[in-house]
Amino acid sequence: MIKKALLTVLTAAVLAAAAAPATAEKASLAKRQSSLNSEYALAKDPGFYFVLDVLGRKLELRVRGMVLRSWPLQSMRFWGQPDFSGNVELVRKTTLKAPQRIVIKPGSEEEAEPAPAAQPAQAKAAPTDPAEYDLEALELKDMPKRFSLDFDNGLHVTVRSKAAGSTGMIGSLKDAWRWYVALPLRNLFDGKGDKALSELELIFDGDKDAQAIYWHFFDGIKGVIL
Amino acid sequence: MSVQRILIAVAALLYLGFLAVLGGAYYVGLKQAAAWPPKEAGPGIPDKDRPKVERNVQQLERRMAGLLPKGVYIVIDTAENRLYLKNGQDVIRTAVVSCGSGVVLEEPGGKKRSWVFDTPRGEFVVKSKITNPYWVKPDWAFIEEGEDIPRDVEDRIESGTLGDYALGFGEGFFIHGTLYTRLLGRNVTHGCVRVGDEDLKAVFKAVPIGAKIYIY
Repeated sequence: MIKKALLTVLTAAVLAAAAAPATAEKASLAKRQSSLNSEYALAKDPGFYFVLDVLGRKLELRVRGMVLRSWPLQSMRFWGQPDFSGNVELVRKTTLKAPQRIVIKPGSEEEAEPAPAAQPAQAKAAPTDPAEYDLEALELKDMPKRFSLDFDNGLHVTVRSKAAGSTGMIGSLKDAWRWYVALPLRNLFDGKGDKALSELELIFDGDKDAQAIYWHFFDGIKGVIL
Repeated sequence: MSVQRILIAVAALLYLGFLAVLGGAYYVGLKQAAAWPPKEAGPGIPDKDRPKVERNVQQLERRMAGLLPKGVYIVIDTAENRLYLKNGQDVIRTAVVSCGSGVVLEEPGGKKRSWVFDTPRGEFVVKSKITNPYWVKPDWAFIEEGEDIPRDVEDRIESGTLGDYALGFGEGFFIHGTLYTRLLGRNVTHGCVRVGDEDLKAVFKAVPIGAKIYIY
């Protein structure tokens, strides 16, 4: 009798152990189907779109299913409602100091201003590296290293490079207050309905990563958050 | 003395109250975080639907693979000023190029036209392939130099500026050569994509009319 009971318990344990991976497999299959559906809806059009793989810790720019750029996440943090995955659209891109286009008006006063007389003794030699030329242009290096992206599902994403964190004591205190006090309280009191807080911070290793994301993410770009 | 004690007690109570609320906020936050990502059980697929879902996934994967660009095509990164000549998923050649400067040119005087010197982004196709191209200078080229806009087309033609080859992809935009090779890698153009001589020759030879161009 005891032997029979033991056998039953053992069989049940073996079945349960076998069922766990099967459940995980089914979940991964369901997730794969959902992400493929979401991406296919975007990839069939010629526009660029992004895929933010939160668990895979990478952000990618794609077109027609082809990966154009991939930016690995150095780290991330989050406050609020976590159900932000799915298809999204960028509504607004904001930064403290947005890069400004240079406007040329031929014949304007600035243009007409005579150039200072050449001073051979102090004249600089022409740069040998093209990167050293001071050009009238809007380039990658002019893009911000810290900015925010607002999506149509209410998700607010702060993108920054590791080096573009808050500087100085006041900056660090302000940032700590915002992240560890203000946001938790906002989440507590505004945590329901349309105004529910959903705040994600993505930190990238290099300045160029954050700057390139600013460059490539235009208002209205669509994407999938996995 | 007693007033002071009362004030200290009120301050302590307020502080403790604040800490309690903050503690509650962290509790709510942690509870929300614990709910994500959804548990491994996920959206359950009944066993009887599993083959159907598997077929659907395979079909979607095939469809996605079908969308990938085929044959030889060009990919241009305007931020990094790089051109990639690709065949399927293989990169055949990488070239340092110059893309649009992003500068705005405003016309002085009555007409007040303006131009933004951006390289257009999106999916394009090679519409024309020209050997020894000449440049028909548009109005902005004269305005930028502070010159009068000529009436005759002949006065707009300039040869040698665009290099030995040009690939047109619409709206007056070309992938062409340059005299300013030292500025390759920088955003300096009026919207066209400037390529060095050797790379331009290779791209021109490899890419047929109708090939896709992806500019991002």
